[in-house]
Amino acid sequence: MKLTRRQFLEIGSALASLIGLPHAEGKVLAEGVERLAHGRIRVLWLQGLACSGCSVSLLNAENPPILQVFLAQVALAFHPTLSAAQGHLASEVVERVGRGTDPFVLVVEGAVPLERPEACRWAGRPFAETLHGLAARAKFLVAAGTCASYGGIPSAEGNPTGAAGVREYLEKVNVPFQGRLVHCPGCPCHPDDLLAVLAHLAAKGYPEVRPATLTPAFFSASSLHDECLRAPAFTMRLFATHFGDGEGCLYQLGCRGHDATGDCARRRWNGGVNWCIQASAPCIGCNRPEFAKSRSAGFYNLGGPMR
Amino acid sequence: MLELSPLTRIEGHLAIHAEVEAVGDASGPGAHRIVRARCEGEMFRGFEVLLAGRHPLDAPQIVQRICGVCPVAHGLASIRAQESIYGITPTANGRLLRNLILAADTLHSHLFHFYQLALLDYVDASAVLRYAGRDRALGALKQWLETATAQAASPAAVPAAPFLPRFEGRYADGLELHWTLLARYGEALAMRRTAHAMGAVFAARLPHGASLVPGGCTQTPTAELVAQYRTRLARLAEFIERAYLPDAIAVARAFPQYWEIGGGYGNFLCFGDLEPDGAIARLAAPGVLCGKTWAPLDEQAIAEDVASSWFSSPSRLHPARGQTKAEPRKPGAYSWLKAPRYRGLPMEVGPLARILVNYHSPHPWSGRQEVDRVLASVGVGPEKLVSVMGRTLCRAIEAAMVARQAAAWLAQVEPDAPPARPFTPRDGVGHGLVEAPRGALGHWLAIKDGKIAHYQCVMPTTWNCSPRDDAGQPGPVEKALEGLVVADPKQPLEAGRVVRSFDPCLACAVH
Repeated sequence: MKLTRRQFLEIGSALASLIGLPHAEGKVLAEGVERLAHGRIRVLWLQGLACSGCSVSLLNAENPPILQVFLAQVALAFHPTLSAAQGHLASEVVERVGRGTDPFVLVVEGAVPLERPEACRWAGRPFAETLHGLAARAKFLVAAGTCASYGGIPSAEGNPTGAAGVREYLEKVNVPFQGRLVHCPGCPCHPDDLLAVLAHLAAKGYPEVRPATLTPAFFSASSLHDECLRAPAFTMRLFATHFGDGEGCLYQLGCRGHDATGDCARRRWNGGVNWCIQASAPCIGCNRPEFAKSRSAGFYNLGGPMR
Repeated sequence: MLELSPLTRIEGHLAIHAEVEAVGDASGPGAHRIVRARCEGEMFRGFEVLLAGRHPLDAPQIVQRICGVCPVAHGLASIRAQESIYGITPTANGRLLRNLILAADTLHSHLFHFYQLALLDYVDASAVLRYAGRDRALGALKQWLETATAQAASPAAVPAAPFLPRFEGRYADGLELHWTLLARYGEALAMRRTAHAMGAVFAARLPHGASLVPGGCTQTPTAELVAQYRTRLARLAEFIERAYLPDAIAVARAFPQYWEIGGGYGNFLCFGDLEPDGAIARLAAPGVLCGKTWAPLDEQAIAEDVASSWFSSPSRLHPARGQTKAEPRKPGAYSWLKAPRYRGLPMEVGPLARILVNYHSPHPWSGRQEVDRVLASVGVGPEKLVSVMGRTLCRAIEAAMVARQAAAWLAQVEPDAPPARPFTPRDGVGHGLVEAPRGALGHWLAIKDGKIAHYQCVMPTTWNCSPRDDAGQPGPVEKALEGLVVADPKQPLEAGRVVRSFDPCLACAVH
């Protein structure tokens, strides 16, 4: 599908404004989308210990519309949930991209079972083996979601597979990832984040990242609380006392808004329809490295043992 | 041997292995028949294990992450199990909002299945290369595929997902149907996105709705939010009537042989969807159907076998006592799925099961006329529904019913009235049953000293894609594949159609 320069600019500036970048950055992202569109860099998508929630979330991108950007503009080589290719055709496509000389971005959704490789097989092989080979050859790696970034729920305390994020796996098998791996956490990850990361990689290459989290420096670093619509209630010590209490700050119910960073408050979800705290649901910190890991640190404070 | 590994365009990691035998030339040279099939679930995360010892209120959020395609049903099953323990019911608004969120997730899931997952089994994207009309979307798709195919000539080329490459084989005759349905691929993506945005109006966001809690839902429904939901629902209802149902009928007409293919056991299980409350009409009541014999549901008749599953824990346990101990080197095992059975029988679950159980139920059911009307327009009787086309068509019929029912629930929402009832967690034992988009779903839970002491889930796709049980009976999908004739075992397009008609969700099934 051929787009005009103007249409690419529109897509780029829409992406830039969605992730809170200055307007001028839109041009850069437009160039990235254009490079993706012309197949100068391909996208290969694989799933480990995953729920497909990040794929579904990506398909929920409202603006720019997903079909336009991801399916027709991004030179998508393979996606397990979407590709017509199945059986040996599917594994051949993946192998061909991996062996080829064209640069590709490997997007990984889901965690890697470090201790029990049999817990995730794909095309008759342990997923970790496939990942190992492809990760070594990929120009860039994107960890889509909290599972691929930090292990997420599959790596929660007491898990039986030794699940971990892509970074930990690559460290274990000695595949260098510096300057190649970008984290795009969130459970699920936000579609705008993911599209912006892909566009940035294609246009300008590896973005500046925060060393501890490997998230792009252009992701919002402010605490959710700072931008929260209920922050004034916190200041006035007005607290919600039970689920469904539409008034007051959710802090005493266990809200993680103070600890979590992100721009949920500004950008919201599903095309700006809503977000957790707006719906009176405490933030559970789903994009944090520690998300869900500790068995004893419950999501909420309500009756029962306090966290 | 026939290998369909990985099976794409489903949720998750599934491989199909089948023994085949050559059949006579009547079915074409090279045609083979499947003698025996195995469904291998290839992934395991151990949700039931990692939930133990956590605070029960974590569970509705954690279990939604079992599956990003149908998270809402998991959240609700966990919540119902907890409500039964805490001795509470949701407020009237809470019940309605949860139904509306589940309805939205179901519509997203059904649309996604037909247009993105199953469609490319019937429609050949390369047909658009011969399109000469004026539809802009098709013109753009043609241009894109032309570029992709031109590039495919070069040795370094990588074909363009999602449409290429694909198995060669017999797709629909003519070109018109391909064009119509391919044009809808993009439109349907936008509609399923609309369904999720609609659900997020009350769920905070989707997938993984944050507002689902015991006692109801955290989002207070204002008149404005009700209007936001209503606008999107009207668009979805219009699309289902104008496109989805007619498109499903068109595919059924183009592939009449699939009324005879992929039936399987003909045993069906339905837990009953959308909260049981006299005041709120339900789409499907619980029940069990074997052949044409209907019986009431007995939750105690469920047990999970593990003879063919990579678990060393004991077999034939009711989920209230079930265990999950992984053993990937267990001899004779070939899947991470357990094999749930009802009175020892493999059961099919899903939209077809919901419709057939209620169609043959002795109790009055409002959906019967609609089913008869659609079947009359296609020219088949209800006995043909136990087939690949029956599953596909029932999903579309159900989408129309869900949209209509959601409008009725929305009208009952009382703006600004409490969405949730306060409660105090306490110890106890309970279970929550719900109908997920893909069928009967149950969570069994025990809370002791304020922590989760026991958690077991039995998922829709665990029923459908289960491996052989202790008695050696194949699971429903394995059974449905037996006898299937494939024109080319190296490109088993037909096997993909049979398996996808069940809309497998492996992340759920293995959890």
